[in-house]
Amino acid sequence: MKRYVLGRIIRSVISIMVVTCAVIVLVFMGVPRDRIFRQDQASLQKLASKPDELTNYRYNKWEDIGYLDFQPLSEMCTNSSDDYAACMVPGSDEFNRVVEQYEADGYTITEYETSDLVFASRDYSPLELVWNFLTSFIEIDHPNVIQDADNPDLERRIYIGSDFNGIPAVKCTGCEHEYLIYFDSSFPFIHQNWIQLNFGESYPTFQRRDTLEVISSGQGELVNAPTTFPNGTTGNSTLNLHTCTYKPTASMDRMDLNKFDTNYANCMSNYSSPSMINLSYIFGIAALVLAYLIALPAGIIMAQKKGKWQDKLGIIYVNIMISVPSLAFIFFMKLIGNSFGLPDKFPQLGFQDIRSYILPVIILALLSTASLMIWVRRYMVDQSNADYVKFARAKGLSQSEIFNRHILKNAIIPIVNGIPGQIILCISGSVITESVFAIPGMGKMLPDAIKANNNTMIVTLTFIFTALSIFSLLAGDILLTFVDPRIQLSSKGETR
Amino acid sequence: MEENKFTFVKLEESAAEHIAAPHYSYWKSVFRRFFSNKVAITMLIIALAITLMAFIQPLFSGYDPLDKEFINTPSMWYLPPSLEYPFGTDQKGMNMFDAVWAGTGMSLKIAFIATTISTVLGVIVGAFWGYSKKLDVIMIEIYNIIYNVPFTLVVMILMYILGQGQWQLIFALSCTSWLGTAYFIRVQVMIIRDREYNLASRCLGTPTSKVIKHNILPYLISVIVTSVARDIPNFISYEVFLSYLGVGLTEAEPSLGRMVQNYVQFIQAPNASYMFWIPICVCAMISISLYIVGQTLADASDPRTHMI
Repeated sequence: MKRYVLGRIIRSVISIMVVTCAVIVLVFMGVPRDRIFRQDQASLQKLASKPDELTNYRYNKWEDIGYLDFQPLSEMCTNSSDDYAACMVPGSDEFNRVVEQYEADGYTITEYETSDLVFASRDYSPLELVWNFLTSFIEIDHPNVIQDADNPDLERRIYIGSDFNGIPAVKCTGCEHEYLIYFDSSFPFIHQNWIQLNFGESYPTFQRRDTLEVISSGQGELVNAPTTFPNGTTGNSTLNLHTCTYKPTASMDRMDLNKFDTNYANCMSNYSSPSMINLSYIFGIAALVLAYLIALPAGIIMAQKKGKWQDKLGIIYVNIMISVPSLAFIFFMKLIGNSFGLPDKFPQLGFQDIRSYILPVIILALLSTASLMIWVRRYMVDQSNADYVKFARAKGLSQSEIFNRHILKNAIIPIVNGIPGQIILCISGSVITESVFAIPGMGKMLPDAIKANNNTMIVTLTFIFTALSIFSLLAGDILLTFVDPRIQLSSKGETR
Repeated sequence: MEENKFTFVKLEESAAEHIAAPHYSYWKSVFRRFFSNKVAITMLIIALAITLMAFIQPLFSGYDPLDKEFINTPSMWYLPPSLEYPFGTDQKGMNMFDAVWAGTGMSLKIAFIATTISTVLGVIVGAFWGYSKKLDVIMIEIYNIIYNVPFTLVVMILMYILGQGQWQLIFALSCTSWLGTAYFIRVQVMIIRDREYNLASRCLGTPTSKVIKHNILPYLISVIVTSVARDIPNFISYEVFLSYLGVGLTEAEPSLGRMVQNYVQFIQAPNASYMFWIPICVCAMISISLYIVGQTLADASDPRTHMI
């Protein structure tokens, strides 16, 4: 069993990486690279009168996103020439030698439009794209990460201390992050900064922020709260001290010195609304629970009253749900909800108001009830012909006792297996529900990123959605063995 | 007993070979079964009417979504449904009747072509996949990798890479869904492949092609019809869904999804909400009718239901 699960996890990880790498290659090779600037016309217009700076800006962005390796002349000369001054003069021998060397390495040498300087650029091949992604993908924080010349006496160790609230936490000095593992009151209550995934910077929307940070940090307005700073002073602040990272001594200002006694002063802020990822989780989990609360009893009743009006009504409902396009269904439900005074869009009442959640959760849940109901009914009907049911009936048990005590226990097995699989449905459902209700979650982010040509964000979301669905399938299989001990995932000895 | 009460009957060799079974024709039984369902007939008529309307009406109207003839003529804006404009006009004075049928035609075209491609490809690959154990080892790994990824995600990313447009959408839909069909067929082929009558056939020296054609394919018809019946409404739904999100068809192509996206702003307007509800209703009608026709046809094409 352990071996099987380990094997499955390894295969799942490989699966996720294959899909992510394939998407990276397709997105970077298949989408014309000029498209990324479509949403960034403001920056381009500012530079329109200076064609050379515009060229630099464009190539720098492409390099940041990971399309190519861009080296302006100054960089070329620093890297491959001993005589910097001579190299920087176009037409000189040293200049020609460097240019030839770069051309031999596969770089394209291009001249600027107005000046006679040149720059070198080289597009990454698909293999290099994947390699660059994989090598920078996982960042593990350790006490030797920080190299600050101004702070030579920096202590370097990991220790268990307490945070500003007095709760134990794994802390570190010398790492990028001050807190490696900490607890707080927000979901999922235990947090870590030890291992960070790096997907690159978001562009052209949410510029100069990492994609993962965009979807995992809070949204909305800043929240002021009384805070005790590390050096003992107290005051109202928006800073979330758990997220502090190292700030080089050279850039520490007086404000920082007033609050912090160490260099960990680069903190993120607290926001009033949950992050995109948390908002999507809230909706997903609430909808999943509601879907089961509706579909399980409905399916059981349909199986109990097979062929009667309850069954027929249920089948009509299932057929309608499968055949009506989800968009039509969502708008229809929205109309009904609006007549009860529920908000039309999520931001109207904001995240604090419970009414903002009701309609999207109901719609998301109902979207996945149809398939659940029909499967519950199918399994229960199949089980009701089994020998043990006939025996129970012969013993004189009542119909409801047979259904609730005997059949349900056996029919629930495949349904338990499907619980995590429903998460996949929730993902697809969330894309459209979040778009219709303008909920700022991950589901809405995907079409938004596609429309904005935000390549790195698309790769990030692909990774998250793929990982969620693959691991939920694995979790479903493991859950199966807990519910029914007869089922073994690994076959002993013989192979099929 | 008198001898002249009997006459001699000539012995007929062929009559002894004749098996006294009622005449059975597969397709006749399918249609008899299908047409015994009144709901299915009604839905078939609705589906046919919508399909014919969607493919013929645009030929006469010559509808072009980019045509802005009446954009500066306020008297043409927001006309409620009437005899001249059965579905009214929108905020730019466009005839909604033309727009809805052109959009429906586009949705149907995409759904039909994508279903054809994915079914043909899926059945061919699935049949080989189910029959060959060597191919199974490779294909099942590919399937495991791809199938775990949410379908919506794959289609949206493909649309991003390929760009918007009807042929790109058809490509994205069919190249992601054929694998599902192939897997479906593979399981069915595997179930039937090792049945006793197939073993017997093989023992008697029947060539593989004949086994597939006579023993396996007839069994698959109802399975294939079921998958087609599921795919067509699904694809219509996807076109509407993706165009609504703005990653499906371009502005220049008529589409129900884009209409929904454009007119969703009028959902609260008391006199203009018809603009939003008409495309939604047409879209729901076409996919419900096609789904029910398909399901009934799938039931009817299963030979096990033909017993009288």
